[in-house]
Amino acid sequence: MLLSIEPDGSVPIYQQIRDRIVEAIAAGEAPVGSGLPATRQLGVDLGINFHTVNKGYDLLRQEGLLRIGRKAGAVVQRDATSGPPRPGWEEDWTGRLRTMLAEATAQGLAAEEIIGHCEEIIAGFVPVTKDGPAVGEAS
Amino acid sequence: MSAAVLVGDVVVVLFGVFLCVGPLVTRPNLQFGLRVPPEHAKAPVVRRERRAYQWRSILIALVALAVLIALGGHTPRWPSRLILVIEVAADLGCFWWAHQQIAKVKSAEGWFAGRRQTVVADTSWRSEPEAFPAGWLLPAVAVIVATVIVGILRYPHLPTYLTRGDQRVVTSPASAFAVVVGQLYVTGLWTGLLVLVYRSRPDLDTADPAASLRSYRKALGAFGRAGLILLACVDASVLLFALQLWRVLHLSGDANLLVGLPAVTGLVGFLLTVVSAGRARARTLVGAQATDRDDDRYWKGGIVYVNLDDPTVLVGARVTFGWTVNLGNPIAWLLVVGLLAIPVGLVVVRLAIGI
Repeated sequence: MLLSIEPDGSVPIYQQIRDRIVEAIAAGEAPVGSGLPATRQLGVDLGINFHTVNKGYDLLRQEGLLRIGRKAGAVVQRDATSGPPRPGWEEDWTGRLRTMLAEATAQGLAAEEIIGHCEEIIAGFVPVTKDGPAVGEAS
Repeated sequence: MSAAVLVGDVVVVLFGVFLCVGPLVTRPNLQFGLRVPPEHAKAPVVRRERRAYQWRSILIALVALAVLIALGGHTPRWPSRLILVIEVAADLGCFWWAHQQIAKVKSAEGWFAGRRQTVVADTSWRSEPEAFPAGWLLPAVAVIVATVIVGILRYPHLPTYLTRGDQRVVTSPASAFAVVVGQLYVTGLWTGLLVLVYRSRPDLDTADPAASLRSYRKALGAFGRAGLILLACVDASVLLFALQLWRVLHLSGDANLLVGLPAVTGLVGFLLTVVSAGRARARTLVGAQATDRDDDRYWKGGIVYVNLDDPTVLVGARVTFGWTVNLGNPIAWLLVVGLLAIPVGLVVVRLAIGI
């Protein structure tokens, strides 16, 4: 998995780490059970403080995407194959999506164009099934 | 001329050649320690400074060689050391000058203005780390074991005094086996540093991080193997020295120079490997979509890395293929002080016990 961040960008680094890992999970690059690097190692590899990495991992843990154990470290806890999201998550996400779509509409993008972008992005996420190769490779 | 003087002279010549080539074989996005966007890698100022550095460093190497020839088989060891220091300082000066000239143009023309700047990590580097080539340590270990065995067999037959150059010392386990301590020290230190290097982070190009990591793994493997072979060669030179000390081998006149031969051969092989690893990395494709981060503010003079926010101890050097310490990290300072303190400590112990 490649993690690319902008250290001098406007988005906080921990948020960027969280976003990149969510994208990797959706793309099937980090299926359920796959481990992520230890916070100190990832801190060294990106040249940032390990507390920042910790903060990013903690966001993912709160969202139920990561499990953080003392021995196993950070492990991906759910992906596309893990069934529907927990109750209440969808409402929360719809609220954020609303803002994103409102931004596009306010900037003058037509509805078809917006839907076209959405379809293109979703097509980029490799569909993973329970017997799929992505899950098999990780175990 | 003694073996030590020959090694000193050869090192002057080797470093002269190495410093002509080394700073020029870096990745296209790093020129004289400066981060350069791909489209400026062949900017007029870069081409001009590369050519100028080449001529200046060749001139420095030739002057150093001429001085060595003029001195002719000098006996003391200090002239070659002094020439080496002056040679390296002169080349560093030329490097710094080129660095400043390119930095001025880079800043005036705003080469990085408005560019997206990212850093990238490949998690496979940690999940599938490059294995340390421990097998290549065997030659060095074999040489040390051979030295110990010969030493133990010879010790009962040694005379009351051992002659080392012009010095005579009383034979004791400490004076007879100091050479083995030297071998263990060099081997332990160098192996420890190589292990640290294997755990440090790879410097990846954002244009194609996967290809960049593959070329890094290859270069690191070659560096590690050449480093361990160099170690075996240095230990072999110490063994030859020990054989003379223990009166197993009697070399006189120019034959004395044989003692330095393994170390010099190892050093030539090692420097060739560093340059060829640097060349292989320099061929890494840097695409126009590269979004490397302009991190020059952490690189003093393009050579010294100081970044308080970076938890790393060792970082990839910007010149040829190698590593340098992050002086913004207290652990790096401990490492530097430790590396300096151990040889100083050994000299103190040597003086204290009179060997």
